[in-house]
Amino acid sequence: MHEHSLLSPYTAKALEYGLAITYLLLFIPFWRFVQGETPAHAFGFGWFQVPNGVHLHAGHAWARPEGGMVEVGLDDFAHKLVGPLDQLRLPEIGAPVRQGQKAFSLVAGGQELDVLSPIDGHVVAVNEALRAHPEGALRDPYGAGWLMKVEPRWLTGNLKNLFTGEGARRFLDAAAGRLAQQLTPQLGVVLQDGGTPVHGIARALDPEHWDEMARRFLGGK
Amino acid sequence: MSERPLTPAFLESPFVKEKVLLGMPLRTYVKSLFTPWNAIAAAILLAGIPTLVFRFWRGLGAVSNLSQTNPWGIWVAFDIVCGVALAAGGYTVACAVYIFGQKDYRPILRPAILTGFLGYALVVFGLIVDLGQPWRLPYQFFLTPGTTAVMYEVGWCVMLYLMVLGLEFLPAALEWLGLVKVRRLLGSLTIGIIVLGVTLSTLHQSSLGAFFLMTPGKLHPLWYSPFLPIFFFVSSISAGIGMVIVESAISHRAFHDQLDPAAPVDLDKITLGLAKGGAVVLFAYFFIRLQGLVASGRFDLLATGWGAWYLFEMLGFVLLPSLLFALAARRHSARLARAAGLLTVLGVILNRFNVSLIAFNWNVADRYVPSAGEVITSLTIVTIGVLVFRWIVNRMPVVHEHPDWRGAH
Repeated sequence: MHEHSLLSPYTAKALEYGLAITYLLLFIPFWRFVQGETPAHAFGFGWFQVPNGVHLHAGHAWARPEGGMVEVGLDDFAHKLVGPLDQLRLPEIGAPVRQGQKAFSLVAGGQELDVLSPIDGHVVAVNEALRAHPEGALRDPYGAGWLMKVEPRWLTGNLKNLFTGEGARRFLDAAAGRLAQQLTPQLGVVLQDGGTPVHGIARALDPEHWDEMARRFLGGK
Repeated sequence: MSERPLTPAFLESPFVKEKVLLGMPLRTYVKSLFTPWNAIAAAILLAGIPTLVFRFWRGLGAVSNLSQTNPWGIWVAFDIVCGVALAAGGYTVACAVYIFGQKDYRPILRPAILTGFLGYALVVFGLIVDLGQPWRLPYQFFLTPGTTAVMYEVGWCVMLYLMVLGLEFLPAALEWLGLVKVRRLLGSLTIGIIVLGVTLSTLHQSSLGAFFLMTPGKLHPLWYSPFLPIFFFVSSISAGIGMVIVESAISHRAFHDQLDPAAPVDLDKITLGLAKGGAVVLFAYFFIRLQGLVASGRFDLLATGWGAWYLFEMLGFVLLPSLLFALAARRHSARLARAAGLLTVLGVILNRFNVSLIAFNWNVADRYVPSAGEVITSLTIVTIGVLVFRWIVNRMPVVHEHPDWRGAH
């Protein structure tokens, strides 16, 4: 009687399948690397994302202390609310900033919107690459999308006024809740992947007066 | 007695002056041609054109080192096999813009199509130089069609695709000439022409690889594979991406004055988008090539000198540019993407040289080395391509849009 040969495939075939599977397995981290996504560091709060170690201001600017300086940017909620930016008007290097007061401006859809500073201090660097390509901030709002670096003045005191960890989660949930109240059936066309808002949700909600809504959120109201 | 005009009347016509002489009087235009690059081009043509005449007059043996053992030299390897791959930018970008709807790449579409069109025209020219007796070219299509021959299909595809590329580029020429009605008619046919072009490209890029399936005894086993058609097709996509990145970077620098200040093009963004594509295609291509190696089972050959050369190509010119593209996309570095693009182009040239020349006839005693006449001829063909490209870009709406046809197909 012949021995059953089903479990003894040709070596070449085994290598071929092994190589194909290796390719597929390697392609996942490769594609993530190419895309520049770091999903391991971000945790989702329903619609909007915030990574660990980031402190959110009520006006949707974020601050992240790093090596004696503080990186400042615009959170995921604000980016998705306002949509593609036409221009970023960042402060001069050396300019003072005060927590809760205007730090920089965004220009989107022909409207200029002020953003409040999350901390006190002096600007020591601005992200020049984003001046020319402000859309880069949208792709990676908490990484390559940083807007300026500030030498802090009252860091410990300032951080007490910002949301982080569980507090940041509740803050964004609340903002998402307020936004959800304004959702209309028409917004269905701008939702993607079964519920994640597309960029520029304010413009989609109210093309005539979207800037007023954006100013309310960016003003911390 | 009236004074004789210094220039013929037709050179004074507004059409010639504005469209051909770039708005300059003839004397100024001729003076503007005296540049170091033109001097180099003129030197190449001065040596090359008599060589070409000599080749057609006295035959292949008079200028080349080709023989019965080595019937294919650099005219086939470089002018034809590399030329077809490097002209793939046209179908790659056309496919991205019109089939996949990636409108962001529109600004680089016309330069890519022009590069493809001139590339294919020179492939045909190189083929005629290699074959000789150009009046016999129609034989393979109409008089003695070998319907089972790969060359029959390659011939038809190249001829049809050259015509399609001509039609794809024609709108630029019609806009330049101001022929509004024909231009509008052609615009309405765009999608059909693009689909035809992409189909023909996929067919003959792969069948050029299939061509080498007939040479299992001649091509070194590390390069010979039943998957050669797939290798050629996939690598042509990476070649197209690499060429578009390199060509657009050079064009934007060389033809900076042609760019439309009213519609600035974010070339860095386009380059980074292409880099993502390049990374993925080369990554896949690397593994497909490995499948070829696994299928042949000739791992023992990797320990030979040919194996080292194979690994040099695979690691240095397939895997490395793939990783560099990935890094460039990750870091948003257009400069790194351009370096990776250049490496990709060199890698495809190396691969085509390996398949059609270096690892071809690897086991014969009489190895082929190109003659000076062959090298000069190839250089002449490339120079003609560069000069025609520059002549067209300086006159027709290629790197910028015609103001009357903004956004038109």
